[in-house]
Amino acid sequence: MEQILQFVLSGLSQGGIYALVAIGYYMMWAATKAANFTHGDIFMLGAVSTVILAGLGIPLPLAMPLAILLSAAAGALIERVAVRPFNQGPSSVGWMLTTIAIGLMMESAFTATYGPLGKPLYSPLAQSPIRISGTGIYPQELLIPVVAIAIMLALEIFYQRTIVGRAMLAVAANRIAAGLMGINVNRISMIAYAMAAGIGALAGILLAPVAEASPAMGALIGLKAFVIAIVAGMSSARGVVFVALAYGVLEKMIEGFISTGARNAIGFGVMILLLLIFPNGIFGKREVVKV
Amino acid sequence: MGEQKSLLEVSDLRVSYGRIEAVRTLSLKVGAGEFVGVIGSNGAGKSSTMRAIAGSVPPSGGRIEFKGADVTSLPSYEKVARGIAMVPEGRMIFGNQTVRDNLLLGAYTRIGHDKAGVAEDMERALSLFPRLRERLEQLGASLSGGEQQMLAIARGLLSRPKLLVIDELSLGLAPKIIEQIFPILIDLNRQGLAVLLVEQMASYALAVTQRTYVMENGSILLEGPSQELATDRRVLDAYLGRRH
Repeated sequence: MEQILQFVLSGLSQGGIYALVAIGYYMMWAATKAANFTHGDIFMLGAVSTVILAGLGIPLPLAMPLAILLSAAAGALIERVAVRPFNQGPSSVGWMLTTIAIGLMMESAFTATYGPLGKPLYSPLAQSPIRISGTGIYPQELLIPVVAIAIMLALEIFYQRTIVGRAMLAVAANRIAAGLMGINVNRISMIAYAMAAGIGALAGILLAPVAEASPAMGALIGLKAFVIAIVAGMSSARGVVFVALAYGVLEKMIEGFISTGARNAIGFGVMILLLLIFPNGIFGKREVVKV
Repeated sequence: MGEQKSLLEVSDLRVSYGRIEAVRTLSLKVGAGEFVGVIGSNGAGKSSTMRAIAGSVPPSGGRIEFKGADVTSLPSYEKVARGIAMVPEGRMIFGNQTVRDNLLLGAYTRIGHDKAGVAEDMERALSLFPRLRERLEQLGASLSGGEQQMLAIARGLLSRPKLLVIDELSLGLAPKIIEQIFPILIDLNRQGLAVLLVEQMASYALAVTQRTYVMENGSILLEGPSQELATDRRVLDAYLGRRH
């Protein structure tokens, strides 16, 4: 029983990371109907640049927002140079190549300069584990799903209560109609990418104190978060967060009851099965395309 | 209309989709405060012309002037800021947002600096279309076709346009609804709003507009005062003779 509690808590923590990264895929997909495959590396950029900035002596409360801003700027730049020019028609796929390529470039650039090894990030919440009925977990890990849910709620308020949020929903629903409202669709897309990148970077910063920051840390998490966003249906932040948290718990259960080696095989297997049952994603709506 | 200063002046417009030319050398004018109709059969290029005027399709040739300035290649969002609003074919209501949010989006270009003006215009739009007031907090998708058309027009008005372009007003609407909407457009026009109305149902367009263009094969076939065209043999045979 205690073991299960341990799996659930650490699973929610892992799932919270997936959630924060997957929310970004959803936001970017909604705005541009393209997926930014550098997103896993943006997650890494958040963590690694915080470690670098902290290493330069910049205090953490300043280093973290700086890293988030830097990553948001990188996200906006990627939209402008790697997505927009390669996403001009409904069947454009050039953005896949360009974003994958830029992701690999970022990873190699950091491997060459920062080094391939992980470095820890200090957090007062990752010093001593707290005991919950016999199982130990860092407060930092408990913080992650809480932040994920808070970000999700904040996003819902942003979409429903601010004019930029409403414009983002309008762009997601119909770019032509959004333009006719006077909305600069390209600018809104760029803001969506910047916000997605900022949230992704935050996930990296939250994870670094318990898992270390390394140039390769984003590759697998970026891929898993993409799969989660697809399985959730790319239709709402809430759906994405729900699937992400559930997937995190599932992974820890597989690790605990079967083996670490079986985690990805069974995890991805379950996701493929879910996609077979729900071809538009669990919470997805059929996308009606009218040309 | 030589005596009226042109608000919109389109000359030699061309619109192509790949190798298909939908509009070829089309010219038309709309004077300030004028109510102008464009009729023509399906596929004549009416919607492509309106999309080019509103900026949602880039013209492949020709010139579009609005208030004396060249706006030929401006994207739609800049045209809205200059005073051209379009009610698109199929209304394009944001179905997953409320009626209120749809209206606020219509005011997108002004909402940052003119909150009071937007609130005032919102009130005016809702008194023009009281059905929308009752449905203010409902999702756009839950409205009937007629209500969606009312919302699309009200949303267009919220940008405070000088020219309202309406593409296929009557499409899919019951005659009863159409007869409710036209008097509102006539009223708006009397208050000074220029309206460019594309209508497949020629009889409606000829009845409410001051001047009408007849389009065929991507260019203008005929042009004249609507009352005269309504009795023109060519128009009668081609557009009014058939059953609607």
